[in-house]
Amino acid sequence: MPSQIVTAHTTAVQAVAERRNAVVIPTSMTIDNDAGAADRTIWIQDSFTPSVSHGVAVPVATVVDRYRVDVLMGDVMVLNAADLEGVKCLGALLIDADAIDADCHITVGYKHE
Amino acid sequence: MLELVPKPQFSVVIPPKLIQEGYLVHFPGDWPSTFTQIREKYFRIQATVPVPYDLSYIIPTLDYRDVDFSNGSGAFQESIYPEKYETLQEVLVGFKPGNFVSIWEIPAARTIDNLEYATMYNDITDPSRLYLGAHQPKDSPYDDPRIKFYLIKDLAPLIMKLYVLAGVDFEKIVVGLTINKCLMEEVSQPSDADKLKAKVIRYYEYLRW
Repeated sequence: MPSQIVTAHTTAVQAVAERRNAVVIPTSMTIDNDAGAADRTIWIQDSFTPSVSHGVAVPVATVVDRYRVDVLMGDVMVLNAADLEGVKCLGALLIDADAIDADCHITVGYKHE
Repeated sequence: MLELVPKPQFSVVIPPKLIQEGYLVHFPGDWPSTFTQIREKYFRIQATVPVPYDLSYIIPTLDYRDVDFSNGSGAFQESIYPEKYETLQEVLVGFKPGNFVSIWEIPAARTIDNLEYATMYNDITDPSRLYLGAHQPKDSPYDDPRIKFYLIKDLAPLIMKLYVLAGVDFEKIVVGLTINKCLMEEVSQPSDADKLKAKVIRYYEYLRW
């Protein structure tokens, strides 16, 4: 399964692009805040534009928070598939953070279903 | 240790899911007279091309989308109907898992899965009758599709209503289609054996009696 590394940023960073005929399932996430500047809050976000439906004639781009975790400064947190069970991104998988920190690295493992 | 596996008493041959080259099809007399090109005729399949095609929609909870398989440029039309009378399209439909149901109508606003009592048809505004005639994704999985229909030119629009159930904010509905394009050639004088072997494709109204 593929993986992608991003660093903490207040503007959500795309880790996995949307695939039209599949959802994105994160299978692991490692947040390396060992050299980070402060305690950090990380979100997995789901970014997509819904389809035209009976109730919505003009859909707008949507971002939904799918997961949130707090990581202490100096800590490394490893989440596996069981920890992330039930997390599903319909569109692109984004990683958002509460501050910009180039020393806080987030590695996301994922699969498409 | 030594084991002697007994010879099986019978074996099962599973026929292909899709119409194959050389197969015979028959359109009986229940087709309306407007379908003179095929009505009460036998055809032999000369060629087939199975075309995979995935459709997907992201729909909010308690909302729906009418997927219209007929041809055109409307917002909900998917344009997979044949354009020639000599083409028969056999379509397999499978769904990836999700929190939704599908309801089928042909023509629009006339559901297929009704019961006989007057109000016993699907109604998505009714919490109970929402599930009447509603097919869940597991009924026809993406990798083992079990919903099949046949399309010919000028058939009334077939509608698949995809309704997202409560319990999620949005759902992504992935519909896997296999469109088996079949080129038909008329058999003007079918033998009795041909008539027995031919697959009968009836007009959709036979589902309502």
